[in-house]
Amino acid sequence: MKSVRTILGLGLVASVGLSLSSPAHADGDILCNSGPQEKWQPVKKLKKQAWLEGWELLKVQVEGDCYEVYARTENGQAIEAFFHPVTLRKLVVFRRGQEIYRAPD
Amino acid sequence: MRRGDVARTFLWIVLAIPAGLMLYNLARGHVLAMDLLHPSGEMSVRLMILALLPGPLVNFFGRNRFLQGWLSIRRNFGVAAFVYAMLHLAIYIFDMRLLSAILDELELPAIWTGWLALFLMIPPAAISFDRAMRALGRRWKQVQRLAYAALGLSLIHWLLLDWHWQPALVHLTPLMIAWVLRLIGNSRNRTLERSGI
Repeated sequence: MKSVRTILGLGLVASVGLSLSSPAHADGDILCNSGPQEKWQPVKKLKKQAWLEGWELLKVQVEGDCYEVYARTENGQAIEAFFHPVTLRKLVVFRRGQEIYRAPD
Repeated sequence: MRRGDVARTFLWIVLAIPAGLMLYNLARGHVLAMDLLHPSGEMSVRLMILALLPGPLVNFFGRNRFLQGWLSIRRNFGVAAFVYAMLHLAIYIFDMRLLSAILDELELPAIWTGWLALFLMIPPAAISFDRAMRALGRRWKQVQRLAYAALGLSLIHWLLLDWHWQPALVHLTPLMIAWVLRLIGNSRNRTLERSGI
């Protein structure tokens, strides 16, 4: 069936195109170099940080040596943010797999 | 009830267990809706693969009892894949809450690939019953091929969301092996035909 082949072809082209055009953003890439966990800021402070961003917090977890926050922005966008556990600096924010913020070096 | 009906009812009970567990955990507050996005989507992909595998395998190995049995229930797997995709969508809507937020992210490649995959599953799922199969004849099979496009898009959707290609590849590998076997089987059959056996 020609149309199916066309759709498959388009899918393939789209996937190749997307993989070439998108910047690398595997969350495994993010390193915080945060040292021993005893020196990390408590999660309570992290929650406050997210609250200051105006986000509705859904979930907090440790990912590698970073804090990872799942939240919703004021406009209802689902986001995933990485914070430095010691400085609580917002490092990277993803939205549905796309990087929408990266802290300047 | 006939024996086939009993078996089918049993199959659907088994297929419903993961969904039941997901909804139970959600209702009890053990998980968030967003935690169920991945398992429901993955379940849909796995069921789709179970629906697509027996075709090429029968092509290569011939109709043994096991493959014949699998082939006879494959449509159930396809429909279940669609049901899990719908569950995936329901969880997504429940998690997003706002229509405006859903529309807002529709343009993201990781999101529209998922929507498109779901839409492509509608026609094959909608005609997955015996009467439609008889009525449509050859065209029935052609419509079912949309499942391949849906699966491809689902895997792209998955890849764009978490950028780990290994799990998607692990799911695709059995199908790729089956397709290679089919190619080998087809060329073998052609050779046999040519040599007049």
